[in-house]
Amino acid sequence: MNPGRLLVLALVAFVMLLYISPYGYMMLTSFKPAEDALAIPPHILPRQFSLDSYSRFAKDAEVPRSFLNSFIVAMMSTTLAVSLALPAAWAISRYGSWPGRFFLLVALVTRMIPYIAIAIPFFALMRSFRLTDTWLAVALAHVTISLPLAIWLLAGFLEAIPSELEDAARVDGCSRAAALLRVIVPVAAGGIVVTAIFCFLASWNEFLYALLLTSVEAKTAPIVIAQFKSQYSLDWGSMTAVGTLYSLPVIIFSLFMQRRIVAGMTMGAVKG
Amino acid sequence: MSRSDRRYVLLLLAPATVFLAVFVAWPLLNLFRDSFYEVGLMTPGERSFVGLENFQRALTSSRVGGAALRTLAYTGIVLTAEFTLGFGVALLFNSLGRRSELLRTIFLFPLMIPPIVAGLLWRFLLIDNFGIVNHILRQLGLLASTSDIAWLGDRDIVLFSVALPDIWLTTSFVTLVLYTGLQNIPASLLEAARIDGAGALQLFRYVTLPLLRPVIAVVLFIRGIDAARAFDIIWVQTEGGPRFASEVLSMHIYRNMIRYGDVGFASAIAVLFLLAMLALSLLAFFSIWRPQALRGDA
Repeated sequence: MNPGRLLVLALVAFVMLLYISPYGYMMLTSFKPAEDALAIPPHILPRQFSLDSYSRFAKDAEVPRSFLNSFIVAMMSTTLAVSLALPAAWAISRYGSWPGRFFLLVALVTRMIPYIAIAIPFFALMRSFRLTDTWLAVALAHVTISLPLAIWLLAGFLEAIPSELEDAARVDGCSRAAALLRVIVPVAAGGIVVTAIFCFLASWNEFLYALLLTSVEAKTAPIVIAQFKSQYSLDWGSMTAVGTLYSLPVIIFSLFMQRRIVAGMTMGAVKG
Repeated sequence: MSRSDRRYVLLLLAPATVFLAVFVAWPLLNLFRDSFYEVGLMTPGERSFVGLENFQRALTSSRVGGAALRTLAYTGIVLTAEFTLGFGVALLFNSLGRRSELLRTIFLFPLMIPPIVAGLLWRFLLIDNFGIVNHILRQLGLLASTSDIAWLGDRDIVLFSVALPDIWLTTSFVTLVLYTGLQNIPASLLEAARIDGAGALQLFRYVTLPLLRPVIAVVLFIRGIDAARAFDIIWVQTEGGPRFASEVLSMHIYRNMIRYGDVGFASAIAVLFLLAMLALSLLAFFSIWRPQALRGDA
């Protein structure tokens, strides 16, 4: 490597470090004693290591429960979105034709709708079903976001599977449904996993629907974190600690899966 | 396609269709209906028809107009910053080739951070007296005092400040997609142009840019829609303040619904917002996207 290249690499590495430093600062702050988060002037490194800020997670029962709510809602909405999207995506990519193309268009148009436009009438709908403040209401709302996404992603992944595979299974005596479940699904497992990750993330990170549809029981973690208050202002120490707890597992998980995630993300955009 | 094939296709599409009909189409129909009524939040049964009054109010309200302009400005700020930074980094990664893998991994990770955590984190960084940003600026001698810039308190700059976490989170997305697009440009094509005597700048202008055009269009399209309907990341920073200086349309609609309980009026603004989004996206879709170029092997 020549020195010029090395310099560019060093420069880029420095910019990258700067880029991730806000998150690093949040993690460092979470290990300071709670009142140090508000120190004037602020110091970057903790002067004293403390798990003080994390204690809110243990003391305030609402916090662990909201994590559980987020997880359950994300699992419910992911399962529902993937199981609705899979047959639809298979119909689109295997059989083409106008219903398939029309469906892709619907999925695309759904993506252009402002969330708030669905959220207002959705709230009334859930009230009439007596579902407000339940996991199901939030999960259903999240599926309206993740279903179009899942259909687009899965249609792309399934397109790569040769139709001869289904034909062969049928010659061997499988029904069409059995061919889809026993032959196609295992072959497309990688793509299905990526799709599920995206659906999970969409739900895990969602705020507006959860804010509207929950009040006490089903509050998800983003809502609880955003409402942290201390005596004077926001409770910044707890915010940094719980924010770290909420985001770090997802970040670590996705670093393991990064190749697949990048493939899904760029496929959604590069292939349209 | 045989008749049984057709029936099978419809059967496969049925579950998703039913879901979208019940939980997207039906609510949207209700939204359109409610926009012609006066409806309270807690008494959805008692409605009175008011014709176009809600729309008239919305179109003449200066707060709605202001929120619409801020939504456009916010989208413009976010798109400009993300595209410039994202494209620059994508070109850097591309010139580094394989060696950029680790860097790309690092660059990926803000995408996984929940927007509300990012919003709150930046609010924490930007606080005027004990925030780390102003502290560092003062240490560098750029500020005389840490209260010189009130990032989230100054009405003139707040719209730029609230865009920072959004830019921080999603520049990576722009970079990754553009990087993939750059990697998909056949090396032979660039080589041929180089042999014909094209310089680096000409290569970029006449080969790279035209070939990348569809990818650029998609990125701008996706990010534009997401920025225009942003809610959470701004809400947790300012709730639209100070004095509505960072209130975008989604937020103003939310306020009318929840704080003022005026569902009919909120619905009318949402209908206008929805129609404007569809019109602008379809315009963008047909003028710059050129879908047929994409369906190939982009």
